[in-house]
Amino acid sequence: MTPLTAAHLQMTRRQFFGRSATGVGVAALSSLLQRDLFAGLGAGGSGLPHFPARAKRVILLWQGGGPSQVDLFDYKPGLAAMRLQELPESVRSSARLSTMTSTQKSYPILPPLKPFRQYGQSGRWLSELLPGIGSIADDICLVRSMHTEAVNHSPGVTFCLSGSQIPGRPSLGSWLSYGLGSLSDDLPSFVVMTSSDQQKTCGQLFYEHYWGSGFIPSKFQGVRLRSEGEPVLYLNDAPGLDRSQKRALLDDIAAFNHHQLQGHGDPETETRIAQYEMAFKMQASVPGLLDLSNESPEVIASYGPDVHRPGSYARNCLLARRMAERGVRFVQLMHGGWDQHRNLSTQLEIQCRDTDQPTAALVKDLKQRGLLDDTLVIYAGEFGRTVFVQGDITKVDGHGRDHLGTAYSLWMAGGGVKPGIAYGETDDFSYRVVRDGVHVHDWQATLLHLLGIDHERLTYRYQGRQFRLTDVHGKVVKGIVA
Amino acid sequence: MHPLRCPPFSILRCILARFRGGRPALAVLGLTVWLNSAAAATTASAPPRLNYGADIRPILAENCFYCHGQDESRRKGKLRLDTRAGQLSQDAVIPGKAGESELIFRILSEDPEERMPPLDSHRTLSAAQKDLLRRWIDEGAHFESHWAFSAPTRPSLPGVRVPRWVRNPIDTFVLAKLESSGLTPSPEADKATQLRRVSLDLTGLPPTPAEADAFKTDRRPDAYERLVDRLLASPRYGERMALPWLDAARYADSNGFQQDGDTFQWIWRDWVVRALNANMPFDQFTIEQLAGDLLPQATTDQRIATAFNRNHLLNGEGGVIPEEQRFVTLFDRVDTTSTNWLGLTVACAQCHDHKYDPVSQKDYYSLMAAFNQLPETGNVKGSPSKVRVAEPLLSLATPEHLAELAALEAKLATVNVNEKIGLMLAAWQPGAEAQPAALPKAVRDVFAVPVAERERRHTEVIRRHFIAVELPKIDPEFHQLFTRRDFLKYDGNPRVMVMEDSMPRTTHVLDRGNYESPREPVTFATPSFLPPLPADAPRNRLGLARWLVSPEQPLTARVMANRHWQTFFGLGLVKTSEDFGVQSEPPVHRELLDWLAVEYRERGWDTKHLHRLIVTSATYRQSSVLTPALKERDPENRLFARGARFRLPAMLIRDQALAVSGLLVEEIGGKPVYPYQPADIWDSLAITLERDFTYPHSTGRDLYRRSLYTFWRRTIAPSNLFDASSRNTCQVRSATTSTPLHALTTLNDPTYIEAARALAGRVLTTEKKPDARLAAAFRAVLARAPDRQEKAILQASLAKQQARFRADPASAAAFLAVGEKPPAPGIAPAEHAAYAAVCLALLNLDETLTKS
Repeated sequence: MTPLTAAHLQMTRRQFFGRSATGVGVAALSSLLQRDLFAGLGAGGSGLPHFPARAKRVILLWQGGGPSQVDLFDYKPGLAAMRLQELPESVRSSARLSTMTSTQKSYPILPPLKPFRQYGQSGRWLSELLPGIGSIADDICLVRSMHTEAVNHSPGVTFCLSGSQIPGRPSLGSWLSYGLGSLSDDLPSFVVMTSSDQQKTCGQLFYEHYWGSGFIPSKFQGVRLRSEGEPVLYLNDAPGLDRSQKRALLDDIAAFNHHQLQGHGDPETETRIAQYEMAFKMQASVPGLLDLSNESPEVIASYGPDVHRPGSYARNCLLARRMAERGVRFVQLMHGGWDQHRNLSTQLEIQCRDTDQPTAALVKDLKQRGLLDDTLVIYAGEFGRTVFVQGDITKVDGHGRDHLGTAYSLWMAGGGVKPGIAYGETDDFSYRVVRDGVHVHDWQATLLHLLGIDHERLTYRYQGRQFRLTDVHGKVVKGIVA
Repeated sequence: MHPLRCPPFSILRCILARFRGGRPALAVLGLTVWLNSAAAATTASAPPRLNYGADIRPILAENCFYCHGQDESRRKGKLRLDTRAGQLSQDAVIPGKAGESELIFRILSEDPEERMPPLDSHRTLSAAQKDLLRRWIDEGAHFESHWAFSAPTRPSLPGVRVPRWVRNPIDTFVLAKLESSGLTPSPEADKATQLRRVSLDLTGLPPTPAEADAFKTDRRPDAYERLVDRLLASPRYGERMALPWLDAARYADSNGFQQDGDTFQWIWRDWVVRALNANMPFDQFTIEQLAGDLLPQATTDQRIATAFNRNHLLNGEGGVIPEEQRFVTLFDRVDTTSTNWLGLTVACAQCHDHKYDPVSQKDYYSLMAAFNQLPETGNVKGSPSKVRVAEPLLSLATPEHLAELAALEAKLATVNVNEKIGLMLAAWQPGAEAQPAALPKAVRDVFAVPVAERERRHTEVIRRHFIAVELPKIDPEFHQLFTRRDFLKYDGNPRVMVMEDSMPRTTHVLDRGNYESPREPVTFATPSFLPPLPADAPRNRLGLARWLVSPEQPLTARVMANRHWQTFFGLGLVKTSEDFGVQSEPPVHRELLDWLAVEYRERGWDTKHLHRLIVTSATYRQSSVLTPALKERDPENRLFARGARFRLPAMLIRDQALAVSGLLVEEIGGKPVYPYQPADIWDSLAITLERDFTYPHSTGRDLYRRSLYTFWRRTIAPSNLFDASSRNTCQVRSATTSTPLHALTTLNDPTYIEAARALAGRVLTTEKKPDARLAAAFRAVLARAPDRQEKAILQASLAKQQARFRADPASAAAFLAVGEKPPAPGIAPAEHAAYAAVCLALLNLDETLTKS
């Protein structure tokens, strides 16, 4: 056994002692030979995946703020005729509203701003604002019957990403890193990128707990890739220290640590040696990831003009593909800009323009490289929006739609979902689910299922109880699994 | 293999594998002897009687209580197995007659309809577990309540074969267990190691070289005890011991969520440090924090203490439903109180009776009633400042402060400040648009938005800029007047969020935890499975607090003794220090834990006494060298055949770097500070444009304060304090992980580079010869002299760095320019830089990062 392998072994062993029994705990012994310091449980013979995975990795395209399913995804041809009619009280009272509209005096129906049209062989109805997503209509699985429990952003995002509205649980990506381990030698298994609308109208913040590891060890938390300054905090060497010098310093540190190890025998010291080595490797691999010089101009152009601006959604989409190629397990790309309470008529189009083309380009790019089969791409926000108007309809910049938790849409592509289908149905107002409802916990269970994980068996013992992403709920939605 | 034909040792293996939370590794690694009664089977020919708490309940809890526990709504077949009466009902258990007991019939049945646990439970019993259950019934099905739920009594000291080793009763328990396991203690650590270990543990700072010299040459027999007393008396002690308490109290300097307004909760943080330094007895420490406001003639300090209960998240997001948020806060208070003092996770009981522990839903809400009497709304009001605090508040403004504020208010009484600013702003604006280049980027960005599309958050940016930069030029007197007024009213008006029972409310059981579905009303009561409140106790937080530290209450003393142990040994005697419930691990050293708990309580909850006892024990003072045999036998050091060795918390790693380089500013308490972080660290928050989220970098002394004082923004924790607790919810145990990102931090964060340079500057100034300089740097960091091999590495390292920096003076200058403090004068830059590089390596050694 090489020293490094031995170090990993011991580290994982310690981590292993920190948890318990059912399912995962028993499985964990065989994870001892994980290949890097971000390693989790998954490895041959560990019991994980619990069954053959359909997807190896996930790219989550988070549409923060709550895109309007009324305007974009959930086609309700009858709405046009009901313009500015009052939403029936019996419908409205079925949903809990945010305090921004719960005291509103009237609730007039606002049909979609732009017409819907059919796309692809499947003839999927989508807004004409989404020609890009329309062009991959036959690759996506559109779920129109999502529903959630939250009516406000942070609790809503936290719920989708951690299974609880209160910060403190491990996030989706950290569960996957923990359960499946890393596919990469020199990049973290869970990377986060953020972007927002250029006009910064949205006001959606990205809190660290959206990619936090909660009560599981913090090595499973997402690593944020920044668009300005250092891409990863403290990645760059101190000014004046060049690589050869840094190498020499690390060799000296390693020499001391080996000496320490001989005297002390603590396997943690071996872990330390490996930790510093990987840090050095990351200092090269991260800039390599960001260097687009070997991308063809055609590919770059396909992501749209915004791709040239670091920190843009388009750039992040391209980077997501590069990460998928390099073995990043979970890419969490978070984009803000969909919280259109009062500026729907101006911002909806701008948001679509910023995100539609890069999103479609990413899916096509993955597909063209043969990566889509085992990459699950998810396009989702924390909730939907109301069919009724919030604010003053007579003011161009004074009206929009409020949050709606009882019905919204998301889509997924690749990685074992049925392509070219639409799943579930809402009522005539896109307000309540009437068929095949998918609760957030169901969606989470399905997602884990696609990665070969039984959501009831990926658990972590904390405070005397087995915690899991789906809490005590969740059913795999078989109807969307290919 | 059929269990009955299984050779005893294999059975044991299986048993162990299942028992210790299903971790076969322990059995494989040979860590068997210390297991409770079942384990004794290794040596005895006839197995001893099984112990219900250690051997049987864990099996039942893990596999049966979910449907046959105390949650009535989930209970199947009207059978409960968590009580004696339940076990005896329906012939589930017939003592002495396993063959006739339904329980055994069910677990052995091959029929999927009859078999327990059912298939869909994802739980299975091993053959060994089934055999244990059968043996237990045949032995008479002895039953006892969970060990942690009956009050600890002081156990008698066990006999030991080598009493010479024993320094205090802790050692008696440890040695007895070692001896029965065939192990011997490790030798005492050398003096330098002991000094560094105990200094880091008690003060969070390493010893200075002078202290190291003094201790090394102190030949008095009680030199170590004198050292311990000095450390316990140091004001640094309270700062060190505050750290775990702040984690438990989910302390932060902002509210979290979208507005993430700043708070004045640091006033409470200072109270904690003062109380710990004064060695406030833990019962008083508890009572004042939970209910200081309810004490007769409560002092200001006692009211400040209650801010413990107000360190929760506060959501000021646009559309929040305040009542929902108010309940989130109430849940948090109940969860924090029960995790912190009772070592119980009761959150499950928000929605239903607890599956495993005997906490009912009614218990949960009865406890919540104590915290539900506040005039709080669940909302945080906006304010024209970065501070967002919610009632009830305690203002610490002085009479002079209030007088000045009143005078300014009077002067401004006839002025509509906002209107006046608005008019001046309107007059200024067009001019600004003409020359946007002179404006800060954030303001220019807003001016780029067409006027028609500007929203309030845009105009706010312009307004803020106007007030801060332009207005002072236009009307300095007016500017001074109202900014001073605002400062005295908001940012400069210290208001700590505290407790105050001035709004009586009825508390209800909430159906499935939903605040919109109240069920029957409840009044305050402590959990029914624990000793009741005394008849004359006040039915409020004060009653609760006193009850928590009453001698009858079995948990608090154990929970706290365990946490203190965890501080020094890395792991608690009960490893799950947040959970003492029936699902928790039965402690290896239960007698030791009980002894410590009783000692703590009976000695008047004297925390320094307990700490002194621990650090002066022979157990603590052992060498931490890990032999291959011990590594095999007890990798986690649960038996304490060696001293503890684990990586320091990130806060202490930073403090250490500041201390050894001479940069540390030892100033106690006060407002949070803003040491080095990337300038754009909070930029992602500024997306709202609603307030200024520029990181307000400290300068001068505030850069070098202890990490305890670093401003803790809930939404973006300090970037260089890795592996920290979340400070969102109560956390009593923190993880220590190793990722490359940590290494990048301690190698590249300016904090460490500047510290390395400062340390180099010191040794270059104080010593003349290279070897002496290197040795001095090494000693400053590690409190010991380098050995021969280490000297050789140091020399070679220096030579390489010298060669490079001599060849490239510009690089040397750049390296030396990191950090605010200028380099020590009169040193050749290449020399200085080369030593600084070596010092940076020293700050990154495993030994440096580790408490050994």
